[in-house]
Amino acid sequence: MVAADRTVPLTPRPTLARPADQILHPWAWWAWALGVAIAVNLTTNPLFLVLVGLALLAVILLRRSDAPWARSISAYFWLAGVVIGVRMFFRILVGGGFGETVLFTLPEIPLPDWAQGIRLGGDVTLEGILYTLYDSLRLVVMLVAVAAANALANPRRALRAVPAALHDISVSVVIALSVAPQLVESAFRVRTARRLRGGRARGLDAVKAYLVPILADAVDRSVSLAASMEARGFGRTRTTSRRRTWTNALLLVSSMVATLGGFLLLSSSGDPGPVAFGCLGAGALGVVAGLRASRDKIAVTRYRPDPWGIQEWTVTVSGLLVLAIVLALGNESVWALFGATLDPDVLNPSFMPATWPSLHPALVVAAALTALPILVTRAPGRTPPATRRGDAAATGRTGIADPGARRPDEELVTS
Amino acid sequence: MIVFDRVSFTYDGAARPTLRDVDLRIGEGDLALVVGRTGTGKSTLLGAMNGLVPHFTGGTLSGAVTVDGRTTSQHRPKDMAEVVGYVGQNPLHGFVTDTVEEEIAYGMEQLGVDPVAMRKRVEETLDLMGIAELRRRPLLDLSGGQQQRVAIASVLAAQPRVLVLDEPTSALDPTAAQDVLAALTTLVHEVGLTIVLAEHRLERVMQAADVAVWVTGDGTVESGPPRSILGRADVVPPLAALAHTLGWDEVPLSVREARRRIARERITVAEVADAPVPDGPPLLSARDLTVSYGDLRAVKGVSLDLAGGTITALMGRNGSGKSSLVNALQGAVKSTGELVVAGDVDPRSLSAAAARRRVTLVPQSAGDLLYLRTVAAECAQADRESLAPAGTCATVLARLDGGVRPDADPRDLSEGQRLSLVLAIQLTAAPPVVLLDEPTRGLDYRMKANLSRIVDGLAADGACVVVVTHDVEFAAAATHRALLMAEGEIVADGTTREVCGSSPAFAPQLAKVFAPQPIMSVREVVVT
Amino acid sequence: MSRMLVAPAPRGGLVRLTWMSRVTLVLTAVAGLAAFAWPLIIPPTWDLPATQAPLVFAVVLPFVLAVVLSELGSSGMDAKSLAMLGVMTAVGAALRPLGAGTAGLELVFFPMIVAGRVFGPGFGFAMGNLSLFASAILTGGVGPWLPYQMVASGFVGFFAGLLPPAGRRWELVLLGAYGALASFAYGWLMDFAFWPFGVGSHTQFSFDPAAGALENIHTFVLYNIATSMGWNLGRAVTTVLMIAVMGGPLLSILRRSVRKAHFVPATG
Repeated sequence: MVAADRTVPLTPRPTLARPADQILHPWAWWAWALGVAIAVNLTTNPLFLVLVGLALLAVILLRRSDAPWARSISAYFWLAGVVIGVRMFFRILVGGGFGETVLFTLPEIPLPDWAQGIRLGGDVTLEGILYTLYDSLRLVVMLVAVAAANALANPRRALRAVPAALHDISVSVVIALSVAPQLVESAFRVRTARRLRGGRARGLDAVKAYLVPILADAVDRSVSLAASMEARGFGRTRTTSRRRTWTNALLLVSSMVATLGGFLLLSSSGDPGPVAFGCLGAGALGVVAGLRASRDKIAVTRYRPDPWGIQEWTVTVSGLLVLAIVLALGNESVWALFGATLDPDVLNPSFMPATWPSLHPALVVAAALTALPILVTRAPGRTPPATRRGDAAATGRTGIADPGARRPDEELVTS
Repeated sequence: MIVFDRVSFTYDGAARPTLRDVDLRIGEGDLALVVGRTGTGKSTLLGAMNGLVPHFTGGTLSGAVTVDGRTTSQHRPKDMAEVVGYVGQNPLHGFVTDTVEEEIAYGMEQLGVDPVAMRKRVEETLDLMGIAELRRRPLLDLSGGQQQRVAIASVLAAQPRVLVLDEPTSALDPTAAQDVLAALTTLVHEVGLTIVLAEHRLERVMQAADVAVWVTGDGTVESGPPRSILGRADVVPPLAALAHTLGWDEVPLSVREARRRIARERITVAEVADAPVPDGPPLLSARDLTVSYGDLRAVKGVSLDLAGGTITALMGRNGSGKSSLVNALQGAVKSTGELVVAGDVDPRSLSAAAARRRVTLVPQSAGDLLYLRTVAAECAQADRESLAPAGTCATVLARLDGGVRPDADPRDLSEGQRLSLVLAIQLTAAPPVVLLDEPTRGLDYRMKANLSRIVDGLAADGACVVVVTHDVEFAAAATHRALLMAEGEIVADGTTREVCGSSPAFAPQLAKVFAPQPIMSVREVVVT
Repeated sequence: MSRMLVAPAPRGGLVRLTWMSRVTLVLTAVAGLAAFAWPLIIPPTWDLPATQAPLVFAVVLPFVLAVVLSELGSSGMDAKSLAMLGVMTAVGAALRPLGAGTAGLELVFFPMIVAGRVFGPGFGFAMGNLSLFASAILTGGVGPWLPYQMVASGFVGFFAGLLPPAGRRWELVLLGAYGALASFAYGWLMDFAFWPFGVGSHTQFSFDPAAGALENIHTFVLYNIATSMGWNLGRAVTTVLMIAVMGGPLLSILRRSVRKAHFVPATG
């Protein structure tokens, strides 16, 4: 092709340019959120949980875009409400008199014999309510962490960064994600068509009249899609040889080891010990290594791969640090390093008898680390500070919050 | 560049070969135009050029297809990707990703192009096809012409030497089609690509063609200079029809050529009398009809009266509100304003079944109406839906197209047969008002003539017919009255001759040839 | 003609199952079973809160899934199979939100079961997996429950591909019965694994590590009848209804595509 003289100037290393709609690598968001979620799950300290919850909310509200996946957080809050509601309901209805400080008493209704052991109603205790509240709060904050990852990480870009071994399968997901909205569109079209035909089909027959054209269309489309993929060289760079035996063995053994680690973690009573965690870690590493090793089989390249820079490291490490702090606070030998003995109330405040929980300074640090992404990333849709390295590409992107104001044409110049 | 050496091809289970002893040579840098009636094997011929036939479709191919030194028997389609770029009929059905930039990069990713080189090529391709400003847009939001240009860009990015396109403009309005064709001629003239193009509507492309390839229908293929091939082919664009009428042995490929020859030969034609538009009490009348989707007002206060016995063409750019208007006239989409059919009823107030007996609409994607396993079952269901005696639909269908087998699967029918079936289903209710949304898409000239005959028959029986179409030649030949829409409003209303004859974009070729005489179709050419 | 037997899949399915993928599938089944049935393997002296357990496997399962999916992918899926997988996954993912919020109206199983039947167990597994994954991505619903859903629905599609050949009429009966069974099994497994999540600990409906497996199952059954029976029943009913109404047409649409598209086993 000869249009070279018309091209815009290129950066010397164009692969480093961060796409304008991307403020952080999606996997960095996930690593951060998972670190926080696991940490949260290890404690029932309500003060810490509330602080972390607020930090997560701040990150979500300040850093989310208006993309469709970012609009799902309300569903998570709804789910969180349901979790607390359902648990409170069961606590009050079938709490079974756990604890001593009776708040009020419901009339008891014994159930028939086959449900032996279950009594409805009875004493409702402060300890029971507190326990349920702490425990659900833990779950709710964990849900908020998951919601944060869902709202902040662009799933399509996350899919683009999967290991080569999962490339083919990820193609199917990419297709599914682009075809699904088109199916919804054809559903609307067919609905109009139903009226044109008189809409005589009733009940279940109407389901048929509605779905058959959509499904037939979808299946036909898969054939032309495959032709288009094939004609554009899909599958071209696969070597015909099968994946190497040792890679296969590594993958298989690693996933077995990881599963075994899960078993050990669950079946050990008390302290799970290093073997279980070791198995989990080794298995995970083995799988990642095996998947990466399969790369030589598929030589596809990535257009404008997402960069993984200092910001990504910072955000990932901040999430892992939160986890590390919580783990350390639950470990006897770490306390011993500071010449103290483990205080179980730090992570799991006693509610029997009910006391006002305290907040260890390390937990304050952990909560602050949760909010760290606000400092190292820029808000989507705002002009970034000019000091940001190699990111002039983003200057044109001024209106993410308002799709109508989008001016993608300004992005031509990549510094 | 492209060589077919005694190529024959038979689909699995087919009784006779689709291609038979095809010898074909297309030189480097040529624009080859593949013509032929629907279902004769144009797509098969194109598919054979990059090996999709037979590697992808199955079937048996004998002989050799060689493109730029690579034979398809030794190379699968994916191995031909940087030699032949293939663009299918519906661009939307070939998109793998969902934004413009990623779609263009997709092919190169598969070929393992280095990211730095890939970045550069994407920029070049965006510029070359003039779609740089669309780079971040979701593919679904693009217009048909833009989608087609993205589809072309997405195969160009692999830098093929040959570009094969299967009816790239069949779904486009005249202006968008012109954009795509202009982009293609640029590729031939500026970049030196070889292009093979199959088309139904030849009016616009034939002047750019260096070679015409006629797929005759019995499996053989004739190729040669477009002037002579088009003179013999059974697809007859207006200028070829003119050449037949005037007894020319060579078909003029452009309006300019035809005008020059007419001037040279001092041919004059008889004055044409304006075809009388049947006048009468309106069968359908709308006042201040408005259709809104959220904030978008697709139709803005349209008022119109349509009399029985008239055939009206509704034209305009894609997105000008034509489909919304006919849907609103049927009552299939919500609208405000007055609407009265057959003197007294508002179809919007009727049940779907009752509305259908007053106004019927054949939608753009006619297949949406079909959901049963056989043609016979669809017909029986149509009789029940229309409260018509059993067999009505089958009778109508037999009149429209005798070739449709009752036990066939509706999804296996050809484009033209499917239209006939849907038309039969919709006409079973014998409505006084018939609305057709883009019925000519994918039809060849003979099928369009057939459709024109059917529509004439309906009008002769007193029905009022509205045809939404991009096809100015069809509108000119088949309709009495024309409405031109832009931005949700009707901007021109008059006889087809007045509306089309005066518009540069919507004038049929013969009107341009004989300007200032507003000749609409070859039937009106009477040499004096 | 009515005695004609309909084979479940073209030549062993669109997604070829090598011995390697079989082994990984078995492993996935073991890991999945452990993940779902953990309340039965936890020792009585377990002292972490019971809500931790599902999360352990929510971390382990993605690795197992990555291995099995990469194995299915690497055993040679051509463009046609991938495009079909993508489009059918889109169908599943687009149908799923239709049922969301309506008790038990779950439409996602029906295309999965029919596609598994036509295209074989490997395809069924991949489609079951990816349908749930894609719909979670579309709706922003990625969470600890997702790996569980993916494993469970993967096996719903997988076993649909292993159903025996049957005559035309019996085929729908077979698929319907399987659909009902699979819907309940899916519901019970998911409920069981996330039981402590739902009610929390220390109520009479709660999981109690100190009690034996049988007693816990008894508690679970009571809890499940009290809470999720409606959902599970609704899921089974919609699946059976959809198979009864749409099963025939979808089977013929998919089989027609097999005929027309000439799926050939991948080489290599």
